Amino acid sequence: MRAKFGAKLLAVVLAAGLSAACTSSDSGDEDQPAQPGGKVELSFWSWAPNIDKTVDAWNAANPDIHVTLSKQAGGGDIVTKLLTAAKAGNPPDLAQVEYQSLPTLVSNDVLADIAKDAEPAKAKFAEGVWQQVTLGTEAVYAIPQDSGPMMLYYRADLFDKLGLTVPKTWDEFAQTARTVRQKDPKKFLTTFSANDPGWFTGLAQQAGAAWWGIDGESWKVSVNDAATRKVADYWGALVNEGVIDGKPMYTPAWNKALNDGTLIAWPSAIWAPGVLEGNAPATKGRWAMAPMPQWAAGENRTGSWGGSSTGVTAAGRNKAAAVRFATWMNTDPAATDLLIKESAIYPAARDAQASPLLHTPPAFFAQQKDFYAEAKAIADTAVGFVWGPNVNVAYDTYKDAFGKAITGKTPFSGAVDTMQSATVADMRKNGFTVTG
Amino acid sequence: MTTLTSAVPARSDLDPGTPRRRVRTRTAWLPTAVLLIGAVYCLLPVAWVVAAATKSGSSLFTTFTFAPGGDLLGNLADLSTYGGGVYWRWLANSLLYAGVGGVASAFVSGLSGYTLAKFRFAGRNVIFNVLLAGVLVPGVTLAIPQYLLLAEVGLTDTYWSVLLPSIISPYGIYLARIYAAAAVPDTVMEAARTDGAGELRIFGRVALPMMMPGLVTVFLFQFVAIWNNFLLPFVMISSDGRFPVTVGLFTLLNQGQTVPALYSVVIIGVLVSILPLIALFLTLQRYWRLDLVSGAVKG
Amino acid sequence: MSSAVTGRSRRGAASRRVPYLFLAPAIVLFTLFVVLPIGYAIYLSLRKVKVSGLGLGRNSRKEIFAGLENYRDALSDPELWSSAGRVLAYGAILLPIMLGLALLFALLLDRPRVGLARFSRLAIFLPYAVPGLIASMLWGFLYLPAVSPFTNLAEWLGLPAPDPLTGDSVLFAIVNIAVWGGVGFNMIVLFTSLRAIPAEIYESARLDGCTEFQLAVRIKIPLLLPSLIMTTVFSLIATLQVFTEPLTVRSLTNSISSTWTPLMKIYSDAFAQNDIYSAAATSVLIAGVTLVISFGFLRLVQRQAFGGENR
Repeated sequence: MRAKFGAKLLAVVLAAGLSAACTSSDSGDEDQPAQPGGKVELSFWSWAPNIDKTVDAWNAANPDIHVTLSKQAGGGDIVTKLLTAAKAGNPPDLAQVEYQSLPTLVSNDVLADIAKDAEPAKAKFAEGVWQQVTLGTEAVYAIPQDSGPMMLYYRADLFDKLGLTVPKTWDEFAQTARTVRQKDPKKFLTTFSANDPGWFTGLAQQAGAAWWGIDGESWKVSVNDAATRKVADYWGALVNEGVIDGKPMYTPAWNKALNDGTLIAWPSAIWAPGVLEGNAPATKGRWAMAPMPQWAAGENRTGSWGGSSTGVTAAGRNKAAAVRFATWMNTDPAATDLLIKESAIYPAARDAQASPLLHTPPAFFAQQKDFYAEAKAIADTAVGFVWGPNVNVAYDTYKDAFGKAITGKTPFSGAVDTMQSATVADMRKNGFTVTG
Repeated sequence: MTTLTSAVPARSDLDPGTPRRRVRTRTAWLPTAVLLIGAVYCLLPVAWVVAAATKSGSSLFTTFTFAPGGDLLGNLADLSTYGGGVYWRWLANSLLYAGVGGVASAFVSGLSGYTLAKFRFAGRNVIFNVLLAGVLVPGVTLAIPQYLLLAEVGLTDTYWSVLLPSIISPYGIYLARIYAAAAVPDTVMEAARTDGAGELRIFGRVALPMMMPGLVTVFLFQFVAIWNNFLLPFVMISSDGRFPVTVGLFTLLNQGQTVPALYSVVIIGVLVSILPLIALFLTLQRYWRLDLVSGAVKG
Repeated sequence: MSSAVTGRSRRGAASRRVPYLFLAPAIVLFTLFVVLPIGYAIYLSLRKVKVSGLGLGRNSRKEIFAGLENYRDALSDPELWSSAGRVLAYGAILLPIMLGLALLFALLLDRPRVGLARFSRLAIFLPYAVPGLIASMLWGFLYLPAVSPFTNLAEWLGLPAPDPLTGDSVLFAIVNIAVWGGVGFNMIVLFTSLRAIPAEIYESARLDGCTEFQLAVRIKIPLLLPSLIMTTVFSLIATLQVFTEPLTVRSLTNSISSTWTPLMKIYSDAFAQNDIYSAAATSVLIAGVTLVISFGFLRLVQRQAFGGENR
């Protein structure tokens, strides 16, 4: 979109006044047109730790395509900045994008359809993973990077000490939570976080939630479907009963609780060992990983929390080169091994999951020899999920509505209803065709 | 108008007890105690960050809050090596934004304040009131339009995108106007005009030196404002090599779900980032002309 | 006795241009970085996005004219009204405490025979050097019962651990951060004004047997009134724009919503929900409200500070 007024005026004034000044500065390295036959410059936004090592490896091996990395704050911030930058016409060539943000960015014309150039990469990924970057259409909007199948982490030493067994179902999980409180009133089995919508979404996925769906030419939205309400009220009852803590995750208090054993379990995702190691290094070797508790005995499903892909922007000038880099980074063993080793990423590509680096467990879980074998088995049970074009609105509402439900001790299904109405209202307001 | 040259230096040295106040016979305990309680209150979080900066990541939240640890140097080393020393780059960027922006702002404010105080011309009050109303527009409301407009001329993600919007300071102009009215006597200007000096020369050679203490204050205000600004650089800058230290620390704190916040690096980073401002205050302390904030210069 | 350049005909047209030339840098910058963005925000506030169908194909999203729809939505949003009420409550608690303490400290510093005054003054002023973002982070650490030293203190005293981040007390927790950050600056402003008062005024009062307390109440505070008014006005403006502190503390608690203050609502609309059109409309509304306040403010400033020069 171009501003009709004002912007043009500003452009003229600023260009006249400042062109001399800014060409002499180091800011001139942006928006370089590709010289034919010359070196291609690509810009790449990402928040993965140490991903500069992987980018350096590419630059060393590919002198004709140079990638410049800009580290960003995180998955949520990157979407805002991408939308603003794309609106202004100067987004980077490539960006790390969480799966749930893809529809938002596609709907805003930020990401390019790279189906043609990305064709060779398709075979390297499991069908369910690939589906996340096609949004179920013929187009391809990103190359998958990592995935986040959920599993249960628990303090094996404290489970032993308190005489607990690893819960196999959510009923057992609730019972375990009560037992923990009886045996040691200072401890909680785990906490329910109103700050982490992605975590709750993963839990709902496991129960079979389907928040968005495409029905012909219209969206079907059911954030408050039966499965989600079931999950919400299950946790709401436990929090209100006082057997599950209601404080947010990723705070210094949570950090301490992991350190001193106030929280003794954490339903999380494959990348949890890195987080635990960073937050509670002293508890090394005391944690163990198990499949998520199930809603019915004998079932075998899990949801996903996190996971991201590498998108190529529609405004980029060198899309083919950008796709080459994105494909290399996420499928070439040299690159994926660097991602595993340096960035603690669990790669989405199938071959990469069989990397020799993943034959040994993460250092933090050294005693659980079959960590990655079990993780791979769990990853295969992750259910698919269709993301909608305004996940950001649903997530933002989640934080407010669940925060209110926890402080007000009201049923969590009410919070889910709030999410549904806010999500639908936002889509209607923007003109999406919505049914249900 | 009262002539202010005499009122300005009255007792406004910021050091009580120096000139002729040494008549103290015994300390007044109650006032001393109240002030010390205030001091302790204000130092509490700072003491926390100092203590925390000496702790390793694992003992950060597990040992008693104010008990110091022995990892200060280790933390400093972690901070220096993080991202190839990018933290020092952020600190240098902050100094650049705040230093250059502060000087430019002080100059523009000084020129405008001097003009508004010392000249009579059509539209003077309108211009001043409109400029001053800028104080009332919150930065949050301006950030995105500023970004979109600067993007039109390709200036986003450059040093200019943070520097240019920071130069204009309604508050600075307001202060400079008060100070110019107080510190630059009309007679001096008249004398210079009689000597045939041009207006620019009068400003540069006569008024500017007289206004210097006031402009140092404007500079310090704007320096602190730019240094502490988060939203503008957060919106404008996407290359981490051009982040100021506030945005840099924010990214360290919000690494996303898969990466734990780097608390120990953030905390030592916070401590180091406060030091330059404290040093600046201590050095420029005697130039502080805060009384002009309240218009007290008028005497 | 103003140096009215305009009066001098011999200098003529050239000198009449001087003030405008001198003001040009400020006016140009102000136009580019304040006026134009405001104009652009008004323009955006009248627009909205219109998606067709699923919104996934290329060019399925158009920006269209929305009229006053965004304003209607903002004004009918109960969250905005309750956040406005919250800010008023916040200001009503914050301003008296912060300015009262600043005044108290300034008067005490100005008293003779105060020990360690220089140390106290610097210590109380120190928080001014700490960015709001970082101040909120530091206080956040001190608030969380699990990591707070106040918990140790309470345990030692046999009291329940305080948890300032739950329920209604979160308002006071945010007020405290603002008091901490603002008291020193205001104290220095008031103190400096006190130092500008000629000491001779006090001497006779002291000779008359006035106590220091009487001196403060009867002589110093009335003389400080202009400074007090100015610090109040500037603090008031800052209060209406409260934003960084609750936004930072929000990640630590369930008690602060994304629309806790009006500016947080703008931030949430623009940065979390990516709806810059609604954000622009709310911005314009808030700018309008502050503008109304600004009229009273400007008149005050003029009478307080520029009465002399205009005569």
